[in-house]
Amino acid sequence: MLARAVAHVGGLVDAVNTGTVPSWLTVATGGALVGASFLFTSLLTDHEGIRAVNGLRAVVPTTDGLRRAVVAGTRALGVLGLVLVLVGAAFGSPEPRRNVAILVVWVGWWAGFTMSTYLVGNAWPLVNPWRTLAERLPGGGDVDLPSEWGAWPAVVGLLALVAVEVVSPLASVPRALGVVVVAYSAVTLLAAWAVGPDAWFERADPVASVFGVYGRAAPVQRDADGLGLRLPGSALADVNATDDRPGAVAFVVALLWSTTFDGLVTTPAWNDALTVVVEAVPVVPTDVTAVVGYVLALVVGFALFRALYRLAAVRCRSRVDTYLAPAAIERWFAPALVPIAAGYHVAHFSGYFLSLSPALRAAVLAPLSDPGVPQLAVLPPWFGTLQLAFVVLGHLLAVWVAHALALEVFPGLLRPIRSQYPFVVVMVAYTMTSAWVVGQPFDAPGYL
Amino acid sequence: MSRNASSTTDADAAPEPTVSDDAPGSIQAPGSDLATCGDDDAAATCRYCGRPFATPDAHDLHVGDVHADACTTAEREAYERALEAEEDELFYFHLRVVAALAGLYTVVVLAYMIALGSGIL
Repeated sequence: MLARAVAHVGGLVDAVNTGTVPSWLTVATGGALVGASFLFTSLLTDHEGIRAVNGLRAVVPTTDGLRRAVVAGTRALGVLGLVLVLVGAAFGSPEPRRNVAILVVWVGWWAGFTMSTYLVGNAWPLVNPWRTLAERLPGGGDVDLPSEWGAWPAVVGLLALVAVEVVSPLASVPRALGVVVVAYSAVTLLAAWAVGPDAWFERADPVASVFGVYGRAAPVQRDADGLGLRLPGSALADVNATDDRPGAVAFVVALLWSTTFDGLVTTPAWNDALTVVVEAVPVVPTDVTAVVGYVLALVVGFALFRALYRLAAVRCRSRVDTYLAPAAIERWFAPALVPIAAGYHVAHFSGYFLSLSPALRAAVLAPLSDPGVPQLAVLPPWFGTLQLAFVVLGHLLAVWVAHALALEVFPGLLRPIRSQYPFVVVMVAYTMTSAWVVGQPFDAPGYL
Repeated sequence: MSRNASSTTDADAAPEPTVSDDAPGSIQAPGSDLATCGDDDAAATCRYCGRPFATPDAHDLHVGDVHADACTTAEREAYERALEAEEDELFYFHLRVVAALAGLYTVVVLAYMIALGSGIL
């Protein structure tokens, strides 16, 4: 039977189901808002003005001494965090909401730290304990990571991590989490030692790549002159920052799909469909069929998202009568997908982070003593609506970034606007899908 | 990560890259090094960055906007003519946008009025 669990995205569910507004209308309103925002941006045709707004930048003053102290402190904190997780997983409370490893990894890191990478700035290159450790390993760097592989190792790694996260009890069994952290550490340290830390963490490590992509939407950006403060998302519209590596588009699409997939497997519709499939295959044990079902859905969904984005690029190409190759168009507009992924992530995880943060605080202050009944913060009822707004806000920022990028690459004013039609159709469909997913009642993924 | 902004055409006609790769909001020939395909029937090709265009006005708009510092007076005039022609078209396009916005607004407000007021939906 399906295991039922308490809704950790409960606030979101209330937003869609309370009052007399039917849920289909809430979902349709999300789509209408994105469509309307595209119509509004098409009225903005002052190319120079848009460039100026996206180019606004204030230098964050730093001194060498301060920088060195922050770098050393952050690195130490990262390694300390890894040690805390390993110790907590091995010796901490078996109850997940009292276990320091579970709370640090899921609440502190995957919810909280990830939000900081797109809301503030990407500090992962400093925090990353594996990078800090790998840089201190002697020798190594003999193996060449072929540059024609591009971002594909990171794509495969990301999908593999998401598959492991969904099909194994990583968020509820501390020992299982410990095993996965040890396995990831071993693979990462060995690979980083073999190909060199810079090559590994900048090109192949899925975790560092996720934060690198999210970090491009952040207001704090690191460039040649040090730290700069930009308008949120405006760095995505920089024309000279397109990622040209093979698989770079696939990685952004994989990130977008994996955040969606995370929410999709907790919907009743998914569990109903899975039940039908599992019961239709009588010979194989149900949990084996289920795991195959999850992995297959993950891969097929990714392929579908990738194909849909390619289709939009091909349509865009014929609409504006350009000779740019579809692959070039895809790469050019890929940065506009980042705010969508970030908006969905913040909608999905902000409530979870805030409600469990007292438990996280208690666990970090006393890692190995059992804190008793875990403390949970109660979110105000309007918080659910706020979360729904984040999904839409991410899309609005995406429309703006895509508009700015289109003006840079297609001549004149009408062609850039028309080039966005296929992308806007895809975005409206995606907003409505994700608004539907976050509005569904939480239903623990079945058969696991 | 950073895209090399240098162009692939003959060095005599191409303008010198003046903006460094790392400057935010750089306007150095964006898209000039993007891959193209199916351009055998191109109506015009940019002589600064080699990018092919399907129509002469797309070419004129590109040259005047992206290579504003390098282009000749004739190219500048062609750009201004193309821009003027597009402005008329843009006005009628914006009329349709405003109509679409008004229509969308009406539909959404009506949907909420019916959903909240009558219980039909």
